[in-house]
Amino acid sequence: MAQSYSAAELYEWIENGASHIYLDVRNEEDHSRFAVEGPHNIEMRNIPYFDFIEAPEQASSHLDPESSVRVICAKEGSAQFVAEVLESLGFIDVSWLEKGIISWGNLLIPKRIPSPDNYQLWQFNRPGKASCSYGLIHADEMMVFDPSRNIGFYSDFATQRDLTITHVFDTHLQADYISGGPNLAKISQAEYIVHEGDFSGSDIEFRPIVDGERIQFNNSSGPDILCTHSPGHTPGSTTFVIDERFMISGDTVFIVSVGRPDLGRKVVEWAKELYRTLKTRICTLPENLIVLPGHYTDWDLESTDDYLILNDFGTVKRMNEDIYEIDDEDQFVEYIIENMREQPEVYDEIRKVNAGFIDPDEDEQDIMDLGKNECAASHMVS
Amino acid sequence: MTQQTYDDELDCSGMNCPLPVLKTKMKIDEMTKGAVLLVSTTDPGSCKDMPAWASRVGHKIVDSGEVDGRFLFYVQKGE
Repeated sequence: MAQSYSAAELYEWIENGASHIYLDVRNEEDHSRFAVEGPHNIEMRNIPYFDFIEAPEQASSHLDPESSVRVICAKEGSAQFVAEVLESLGFIDVSWLEKGIISWGNLLIPKRIPSPDNYQLWQFNRPGKASCSYGLIHADEMMVFDPSRNIGFYSDFATQRDLTITHVFDTHLQADYISGGPNLAKISQAEYIVHEGDFSGSDIEFRPIVDGERIQFNNSSGPDILCTHSPGHTPGSTTFVIDERFMISGDTVFIVSVGRPDLGRKVVEWAKELYRTLKTRICTLPENLIVLPGHYTDWDLESTDDYLILNDFGTVKRMNEDIYEIDDEDQFVEYIIENMREQPEVYDEIRKVNAGFIDPDEDEQDIMDLGKNECAASHMVS
Repeated sequence: MTQQTYDDELDCSGMNCPLPVLKTKMKIDEMTKGAVLLVSTTDPGSCKDMPAWASRVGHKIVDSGEVDGRFLFYVQKGE
């Protein structure tokens, strides 16, 4: 019987550069829409499971029976089936992904960000989405920023460390993934803190951010959070500056590029807003702040040697000179329009879920939530 | 979806991948060329997988659609 493996093991193999062959047995369309990717290139093959039903010897003829094969499918049944077919054909090291590609899509990797001794800052990387959420811990309290839908992860993380989640922030109304914010706040009896620019009219209960306010832990010591309204990507986008050292920049500042302002389909208006934000609210922040973004697109450019997605703001500005050096509003709008591309159709639906207007069942949310983000204004720096 | 005639039928309700395609293959192997098998499934994954499998092996989906939460495929056996 072929063994199974978890999504967390899969990530570890990719990070450690393990020499496995990854065999995705979903149909070609689903594979091309969303596949497993990580910090290093991997040897990925796509041979649909039904080829192993029809002609197993032929389907496996391009795979080396001596190699280690890690099979991936949508749910797990087909991966297990193919793993067993391969074993019966003499393959010596084959295993299959438990709970399928959705478990990969929901996986969160916790990594500690170096910080002063009196508090802890964690980056929760979601490789399936190329997105990041954050945890800030002081004494027995934890604040969470931009949590994804897998809220059990955050509450387990807190429980295992005897922490109480006291504040849950969203930098903005997400369009590319379903936020865990409202539900995490509810089960933790924490405050859900967002800017009303994105949430007015919503049924979701929230504490509205006041531009320039400083939010503290309930025990009122420890690092404080300076809330800086930074509209552009969305009207309510907010950047959180922690302890004058870190900026949780959501989808406003990325390590490569900035957040695209066209998702609300008011591209000129929002691009102008983003230009003003960058000039008057972001570029005025100190260059030694460490940028902690909501997304990334390229591990090689955006991660540290320790697989953290971060960099200091000075370096970020230099890496994105083509954006930050634009000194004219119209020219900036032009740059944005030139780099515009289609947004996935599902973004409209995800926004409605995050604003509390619709509440699809769990399976449907799983499907909506799968797939990489499309949030950056440009794909590559020039 | 129009009402089609068929020669045999297969109910794969409640089954997940890979069973709907696996059972369909086994059933259609017993049928003669040109005969039509009506397959019903409840697994949304089969909506893409059934046509993708059929086109790879030379069968034809002459019609398909969703009726009362069930996905129906009329599969005509090819070469």
